[in-house]
Amino acid sequence: MSAYATIAFKPDRCNGCNECMSACAAVKGSAGQIDSRIQIVAANDSFELAMCRQCGDPKCVAVCPAAALAKNEGSGVISWDGGKCVNCLLCTVGCAYGGIVHNAAAGHVVKCDMCDAAVAGAPACVKACDQGALQFITSARIYNEVGDLEDLFVPGLSGCQGCNTELIMRHALRRVGPETVLATPPGCIPGMGAVGYNGLTGTKVPVFHPLLTNTASMLTGIKRHYKRQGREMTAMALAGDGGTSDVGFQSLSGAAERGEEILFICVDNEGYMNTGMQRSSCTPYGAWTSTTPVGERGQGKSQDAKNMPVLMMMHNCAYVATASTGFMEDLYAKLDHAIAASKHGFAYLHIYSPCTTGWRFPSQDNIEVARKAVETNFVMLWEFTPEAGLTLSRPLDQARPLTEYLKAQGKYRHLSAEQIVHIEASLAKNVAFIEKLAGPRKPATAQQAAVRA
Amino acid sequence: MNENRVDYLVAGASHAALSALAAIRMHDPAGSLAVLAREGHLPYSPTVLPYVVSGRSAPDRVALKPAEYFARNNIAFLAKHALQSIDACAKRVHFADGGTMAYGKLLLATGATPIIPPIPGLKEVKFHVLRTLDDAMALHAALPRTRAAVVLGAGLIGMHAAENLAKTGAAVTVVEMQPQVLPGYFDSEAAGIIASVFADNGVRLLLGHKVEKLANSAAGCTLTLADGSTLDADLLLVATGVAPVIDYLAGSGVATERGILVDTSMQSSVADIYAAGDVAQAQGFYDGRPLVGGILPDAVEQGRIAGMAMAGDPAAPAYPGSVPLNTYAFFGQQALSVGSQSAGEVVLQESSGREYLKIVMQDGRLTGIFGINRPFDAGIMWQLILRRTDLSAVREQFITEPQKTARQLMSKLWR
Amino acid sequence: MNAVLQPKPNYIVCDGNEAAAWAVSLAQVDMVAVYPITPQSSLVEYLAKFIADGRLGAEIVDVEGEHSVLSVLQGATLAGARTYTASCGPGLAFMFEPYMRTPGMRLPMVMTIVTRDTLTPQSVWGGHQDAMSVREVGWIQIYCENLQEILDTTIMAYRIAEHHDVMLPVNVCHDGNYLSFATGRVELPDAAEVAAFLGQRDVNWHVALDPDRPMAVDPLTGGAGGPGPALFVRYRKGQCQGMQNSLAVIEEVHADWARRFGRHHAPLVEAYRMDDAELALVTLGSMTGAAKDAVDEARARGQKVGLAKVKTYRPFPAKKLAEILAPVKAVAVVDRSVSFGWNCGPLYQDTLAALQASNIPAMSCIGGLAGADITITHFARVIEACAELAEKRSPVDTLWLNEHD
Ligand SMILES: Cc1cc2nc3c(=O)[nH]c(=O)nc-3n(C[C@H](O)[C@H](O)[C@H](O)COP(=O)(O)OP(=O)(O)OC[C@H]3O[C@@H](n4cnc5c(N)ncnc54)[C@H](O)[C@@H]3O)c2cc1C
Repeated sequence: MSAYATIAFKPDRCNGCNECMSACAAVKGSAGQIDSRIQIVAANDSFELAMCRQCGDPKCVAVCPAAALAKNEGSGVISWDGGKCVNCLLCTVGCAYGGIVHNAAAGHVVKCDMCDAAVAGAPACVKACDQGALQFITSARIYNEVGDLEDLFVPGLSGCQGCNTELIMRHALRRVGPETVLATPPGCIPGMGAVGYNGLTGTKVPVFHPLLTNTASMLTGIKRHYKRQGREMTAMALAGDGGTSDVGFQSLSGAAERGEEILFICVDNEGYMNTGMQRSSCTPYGAWTSTTPVGERGQGKSQDAKNMPVLMMMHNCAYVATASTGFMEDLYAKLDHAIAASKHGFAYLHIYSPCTTGWRFPSQDNIEVARKAVETNFVMLWEFTPEAGLTLSRPLDQARPLTEYLKAQGKYRHLSAEQIVHIEASLAKNVAFIEKLAGPRKPATAQQAAVRA
Repeated sequence: MNENRVDYLVAGASHAALSALAAIRMHDPAGSLAVLAREGHLPYSPTVLPYVVSGRSAPDRVALKPAEYFARNNIAFLAKHALQSIDACAKRVHFADGGTMAYGKLLLATGATPIIPPIPGLKEVKFHVLRTLDDAMALHAALPRTRAAVVLGAGLIGMHAAENLAKTGAAVTVVEMQPQVLPGYFDSEAAGIIASVFADNGVRLLLGHKVEKLANSAAGCTLTLADGSTLDADLLLVATGVAPVIDYLAGSGVATERGILVDTSMQSSVADIYAAGDVAQAQGFYDGRPLVGGILPDAVEQGRIAGMAMAGDPAAPAYPGSVPLNTYAFFGQQALSVGSQSAGEVVLQESSGREYLKIVMQDGRLTGIFGINRPFDAGIMWQLILRRTDLSAVREQFITEPQKTARQLMSKLWR
Repeated sequence: MNAVLQPKPNYIVCDGNEAAAWAVSLAQVDMVAVYPITPQSSLVEYLAKFIADGRLGAEIVDVEGEHSVLSVLQGATLAGARTYTASCGPGLAFMFEPYMRTPGMRLPMVMTIVTRDTLTPQSVWGGHQDAMSVREVGWIQIYCENLQEILDTTIMAYRIAEHHDVMLPVNVCHDGNYLSFATGRVELPDAAEVAAFLGQRDVNWHVALDPDRPMAVDPLTGGAGGPGPALFVRYRKGQCQGMQNSLAVIEEVHADWARRFGRHHAPLVEAYRMDDAELALVTLGSMTGAAKDAVDEARARGQKVGLAKVKTYRPFPAKKLAEILAPVKAVAVVDRSVSFGWNCGPLYQDTLAALQASNIPAMSCIGGLAGADITITHFARVIEACAELAEKRSPVDTLWLNEHD
């Protein structure tokens, strides 16, 4: 089965301008919003949506007695065939989204056909939305590309509910493939059972617990020996931010300076989440942790986070990039670049990974928090090679208010106005710094365009 | 696959069957699976037949699935295999042509067949029914010679057929015992609007009339009604209802009333034998009493649940119960009927000209909504009923703007 | 791949650090990881030079600290490499985390400790305190007396470590300042004969990080209620067993070395003039030379003194030592380190434990700390004290040899 591009709706960004409806109606040859296949419905407190979801197991198709509706296996779009439709309206019973409706002007049912987005780039409604309320999500292509690659972790990993690290682990390892030796220093990743327990393994590739301190060094020895023997393989680390930026930093810095051919992925959840949510040098200013608690005198962490990816860039690694699970296409592209770079030098990929348990937000909001981090510039997506320098994967000039991100997490609940001012000021400085490194804006690559959408 | 045994055997090849096949394959891509089609055609829907009659749908364009679908999903499509009897102890079925096949799980999705009322003389005259593609093609072939058609029964099948016959230019008369058309789906007021549209389009409706006897005539046949009047017809269509096809159950031990009695996973009284669609008598949504629903969306839903249960899919839901549903497009008008006319109090009933809207609620929850030329999303309303969504907070708004309010509610619910 | 340039004639004049480097070259290791520290630095410089000159065809990893030194080599060993490094003092302390882990993973690595006293006071000079501080971690520890023993033992260490009944890391200890910088004549064995002596390297048959043989290395093991603790016990017990097995292996390897190369070193404990001895010194490492001279002088004076030099310190050759010391009336153990918990030397404690079945009195002498000499005169004092002990048979205080130098 394939996965497909979809139109996503963010109700909190919709301002009810209905430009999408006008655009849709126009494309379908009508002037009236009533004829739009996307219907924005204003409610008291929000804007709601009635539109075809291009369901995976579409009931409208199942209840059609005339075989007039069919799901296109290539595009995923449910198409309507006017030559077969008998106008019985049974499809409208099958749809729980108001996505296929009888249109008086047309004299038959109509539904969204995604504007043949493969040709158009994005559906007309999405193009017309300048609020970011409608987004054309094309990351399904990743699934189509890698869905058949072997998942190299055991089926059941014992992560916290809603943790996105499992996503990172499975995706990354799948992409890297079986000719890999995987190091997972102590932390959430082996805590989930990646290395296994009591004689049982958690992966299908050779995997080990390095010490929290020596991941990059152990991988150095492994990679150097295989290279000496002329054997191709990837020496890969999936490490937490503590094992990367604190106690593991020395060996990491050494390996990076020596240009060891290692793929080092830091899964940054901004603290020692596995041991009970203690502070790390990646914990941001103001954040509650169990060692920077909030009380009469303590108000969360009183220092800014170490800018780990920038530090790695200053090692002049073969490749350094930041990524987020909120932007999987970008993450995938960077994973590819990092794997390629690790064949000739040190590749460092810093993935921001919101922690539902430690950051205190509902488990279903993980990807949302990850997105907000990027959309507010709190997390900046970029990549670096010695040849091209730093390039932004996403422009920094359309940031949403930082408070949207801060408010999404319990760990910032206590923040005072002054603390927020501090965070905003530090962020502004960081953004200016990265922008300066990025230099004048170059024309966006296709990948950048996708991340923006 | 062992030629004579399959893990899953599905009898019938229409909506309930197809939806079960998809559900089985979703969970078990490998188990051996065969489907029995009594006829020689690829699966088609009885619902499309009126349009085959009128010529709008070509018989070779109505297949619900192409042959290639069965090959791709590793499903043996056994055409012209009619189920004759079941040996439930041996878990084996016998075919009309004498063959047999053993099964792991069996789904009975043999649908319904027209009821032929015991009217004197009916058996002696030539008449049509409309349930199979062959029926439809026979009717279509008869059209050019048809001047005066009589349809017995003003249910959905009769009305669909009447409209499509009328559109070919024939004079059509519908004779119905009940005082209104489409009883069960619409109240008398709504039925009146529908009837008037038919009348405006030249269809003669004889409501509250009973046919007393029939006899052959030169053109075809003559019907004598209870009031003594007579009707001449060169084409007679009998559409006085359907009954589940369960003749093959004798001796099987499978419990039946009007149809096959099933539990909420669509399993019959005999283990590993399931039933879905028009053949099944599953619980009703409102009172839980088993009923024979006879509508397409139910066939799809029941087939899916049966398939999931047969394949052991842990996500298989319990059947929530049958809700009467109908979408009815006639002469360019749209009538929708979702839910029960009587399971609650009428909170709105208004009509003007060809528009009509009625809303029935109970304890702040929607139990039925009916409209003619008043758009609302039938699928969303069905969900609101099934989920027993509390509408108290938006009751007034719902009554004034049912479509918009329901869309708001569902959009929020889906998030 | 490894081109060891064989000098002619087959001996060289070198210091102890260079002798160790020659041994490493002859053992044809695959990888060395280096980080400098006094008095080890020249050893890794020699290695770097040998590799730069093509004399040793090994991979060299210049890492950023001792912690990484051992970590790199652990990785390499798990990938199948024969490895080497050297360290001491604070460097050894810094590598303690991976050091502690090496024997449990049963990695047959060889590392020289160019022994040095530990901080504090700040000191860069010889003493055994660094090696003694890690004596209970699970590495095999072998102490050398002279330059030739350094070369021969370092080569033998690979065969001991990689023996399938052992599979444990080996520390070859040589005394900082004394052996590291002392210069003398060292005979070089023939490279091909060394290769034959060591045989095929086979270091990760039991645990590997190899995509062709995927396995989880060191998953979490333990936790009450599951199979973990029993598994853990089996690992631990097996590790202890490997240590005990090594005693016989060390003897066997030394015997084979003597057969092939004509030089015999006592594998566990060397008995010197112990035949009719009534008093015995117990020594470790390079101090033994001066001690033997002191014994000779005492013998010349008519005192029946002998000496037992412990070569293999971990596992402790308790049986062998007890056997050698059995006939004497008193024993004086000379340590170049202290046991803070017992106000004595650690070798003394071990000797006491080995003697527990007999009632031979023993005393602890501590000397040679922070590079201090233990001269023949110091040993003469030790022999005197030992004679006194033999007479009085009552416990005596620890004798601090260099206290008033
Ligand atoms: C003219 C017409 C109009 C309709 N309009 C509507 C409508 O507008 N809305 C609506 O909801 N419903 C409508 N229906 C009803 C709807 O078509 C049925 O509810 C639906 O088809 C039931 O599906 P099913 O799979 O249960 O049975 P069926 O569709 O009846 O299929 C039964 C299958 O079983 C096979 N079969 C029967 N006996 C045997 C046997 N012994 N051995 C092997 N195979 C056997 C048949 O060949 C057929 O393939 C209409 C029906 C007709 C006839």
